[in-house]
Amino acid sequence: MEAGSILNSIIPWNPKRSLCRKPSNFPRFVRASSSPQSQEQKRGYRGPKPTRDWVADWVRNNDDAVRSLPIYVGGASLLAVLFNRTVSGIAPVADASSSQSRADLLTLSLAVTNILTGLVWLSIRPKSISVVNPEGVECRNICSRLPDLVVSELLWAWESLSAVTCCRSLVVIYDSICILQIGMAAESRNDGEAVTVDASKLMQGSVYQGVMRSGAQSYLANLLLYPGRSELPFLPSNTQAVILQPLGDKGIAIIGGDTIRGFTTSDQSWIAFIGEKLDATLSKYANAVSLVMQDGI
Amino acid sequence: MSVLLANPFIKFKIPLRSGAKTTKNSISISARLDNSQQQQQLNLSVLRFTFGIPGFDESYLPRWIGYGFGSLLILNHFAFSGSVTPAQLRTEVLGLSLAGFSVALPYLGKFLQGANPMDRATLPEGAEQIFVMSQNVSDTLKEDLAWATYVLLRNSNSVSVLISIRGELCIRGYWNSPNGVSKTQVLEWLERQIEKIGLSDLKDSLYFPQIADDEVWEMLPKGTSSLFVQPLIRASDPNAKEMEMVEGFVLLASSARYAYSEKDKAWIKAIAYKFLVLVVHYNLNSGIGFPN
Repeated sequence: MEAGSILNSIIPWNPKRSLCRKPSNFPRFVRASSSPQSQEQKRGYRGPKPTRDWVADWVRNNDDAVRSLPIYVGGASLLAVLFNRTVSGIAPVADASSSQSRADLLTLSLAVTNILTGLVWLSIRPKSISVVNPEGVECRNICSRLPDLVVSELLWAWESLSAVTCCRSLVVIYDSICILQIGMAAESRNDGEAVTVDASKLMQGSVYQGVMRSGAQSYLANLLLYPGRSELPFLPSNTQAVILQPLGDKGIAIIGGDTIRGFTTSDQSWIAFIGEKLDATLSKYANAVSLVMQDGI
Repeated sequence: MSVLLANPFIKFKIPLRSGAKTTKNSISISARLDNSQQQQQLNLSVLRFTFGIPGFDESYLPRWIGYGFGSLLILNHFAFSGSVTPAQLRTEVLGLSLAGFSVALPYLGKFLQGANPMDRATLPEGAEQIFVMSQNVSDTLKEDLAWATYVLLRNSNSVSVLISIRGELCIRGYWNSPNGVSKTQVLEWLERQIEKIGLSDLKDSLYFPQIADDEVWEMLPKGTSSLFVQPLIRASDPNAKEMEMVEGFVLLASSARYAYSEKDKAWIKAIAYKFLVLVVHYNLNSGIGFPN
């Protein structure tokens, strides 16, 4: 049985689909469901939420405008206060003696607070970094004699990473052989096929040794600045970021991304846990893997 | 299999990319715009500061200032009798609306990209931490369930997790189960609760960023504020009546509001997908269900 058929029989997974459904969809869901359970009534009852989501959606869609909004509001109020004072014929002197002046001062302070909040919001705007499409060829090389369960777990890891993060290439090396090379790979000059992974050469290199010595994940957020990238010739040449995740002490997963600093802290911790799981699965089936090694020789 | 989590809560921070936070102890804020280069490269990060008081979130400062100055305005209006000129009234109206706007600012700021990290989920009081799994599952599935529940609790802002696959349950974290009952009874009680709510028939993911106390389901611990349910749906056989089959669901609850960002939900869906892969694998191999 081809392991790929497992994933083909599952609904093609698009993470953008059906995230954060608003409860306003419930009536449609009620009609479509054939279940006579009382859930629909109970859930359709949570009506008030859509109003909150509307604000959130509006802010998210007009991010820049909302960031400068307090500045404009504060600035306009400041001018309005000064205008009010001049129009009413009050001398523009900042003293707190009269009621009017106190009210003016308080309003001015509020206006300044708003302006400063707007400036702070502008300062924390994340820099948008563009995606760089990796140059290379698509490949899908899976070690053929692995048990189905292992293969489906590896493919699951690839599907998850490519769907949720900016990962575009995945290479898994375990027990000195490359058991998975999937996604975009560098194009070999000879035949236009993907460059194969030379596991033994990689394992002698400093990148692999360094990661294995520390035993911790290594995140190369901007691969172009990293001198060791020559040891990863199988990745597309314009791969922007790479995560090197050790799988126990016998393997490594190399995850290439298409955006500089594209992997968030959350992604990193998820990848670390996935690495542990892959290591557990692979070491359990280590017999099968070592069989492959013998056949390979 | 009954290993309880020692410290299941890891606060997940979305890293702020630009600028560094500067620490100042005084309230005075000086906008040093003169030491910047052109207009586009204005370094405004100098305006960001923290008092260093633990538990005091500086992003809520506009709210406190709004409340404080708004009440001072009202005090000023009423405490000092004498005629109130129209000019003063205008200023006060403007001031009060500005105060209202300042109060709303932290709420708006929460939805901006790269905004402040979410509140940390607090441990609910009065609920016990439990880890229970149906007995009727294979070892592979047991390991996967244990790993998945552990990872979900550690990596998302959650307090409780429930995974249901074809009726087999695995729960971990804080749950409002009845005290002093055996594990089998807890599972049966949960199954009844799920049946009552009808969670097994969900076809779409559900996200409640803020649940009111009275709307929280009975099995969830008190203080649950966010809830996310991700059903496991796969394409059924071509000759089956329905297009999609629901194999189960993953439920996560947190005591913090807006606990799950889009990325968190995507990762949770990835974990749910893992169980789908297992289900289909066993379907194709044995055709019966999970072997024991």
